Amino acid sequence: MASVTGTSISMASFKASLAPSSRISNVKSVSFPISGKSFTTLRMQPARFRISCAAKPETVTKVCEIVKKQLALPDDSAVTGESKFAALGADSLDTVEIVMGLEEEFGISVEEDSAQSIATVQDAADLIENLIEKKGA
Amino acid sequence: MAKVVPTRSEVLFLFRSLLRTARQFSDYNIREYSKRRTIDGFRQNRTLSDPDSIASAFSHGKAQLEIAKRQAVVYSLYAPKVKSIMDLKPCNTV
Repeated sequence: MASVTGTSISMASFKASLAPSSRISNVKSVSFPISGKSFTTLRMQPARFRISCAAKPETVTKVCEIVKKQLALPDDSAVTGESKFAALGADSLDTVEIVMGLEEEFGISVEEDSAQSIATVQDAADLIENLIEKKGA
Repeated sequence: MAKVVPTRSEVLFLFRSLLRTARQFSDYNIREYSKRRTIDGFRQNRTLSDPDSIASAFSHGKAQLEIAKRQAVVYSLYAPKVKSIMDLKPCNTV
């Protein structure tokens, strides 16, 4: 009979210990989605950094300068990294002249195929960065 | 004789070669003239639509390229020591 009472007491204490543990497990279940969200943003950030670090802003500004001079655009016209040469009014001859001007300005030599694939100011700046890196290495 | 009509990329390649060859001249005047002449010549013939005239303009351009390459070599053999004033870096004096 004494043993029966003993077990009942232990059961009560067990229940009491269960309650806080369940609370803890609830807290754990709440925090899990938070850690899940932060994990996905961490995965996305390196990809974004890679795209924005592709070309230095000074290079892009120099390229914009040369493009503006070549196409005789007024100084306040908006030439950004995303502007396409065709949209600015440049035909294929203008594009070749611009690439020549960039070669002279940066002291690099652009391949024939790479020159054909340049469509925006950003492409040109990235190509210039790559060639300068290869030359320096 | 049937002339070969050049493709767009061939024409652009000729343009680039002419400009590159023009860059090799050590004399400022000839360098600037070659660049100017190729740009003007290509712009003038931009709107040609007759395949015969396109082909003859292209072969004329190729002949000029050969001449320019030869002359670049010859001029470099006899380059004067004194450079043209336009090639010197500008120094601001009061």
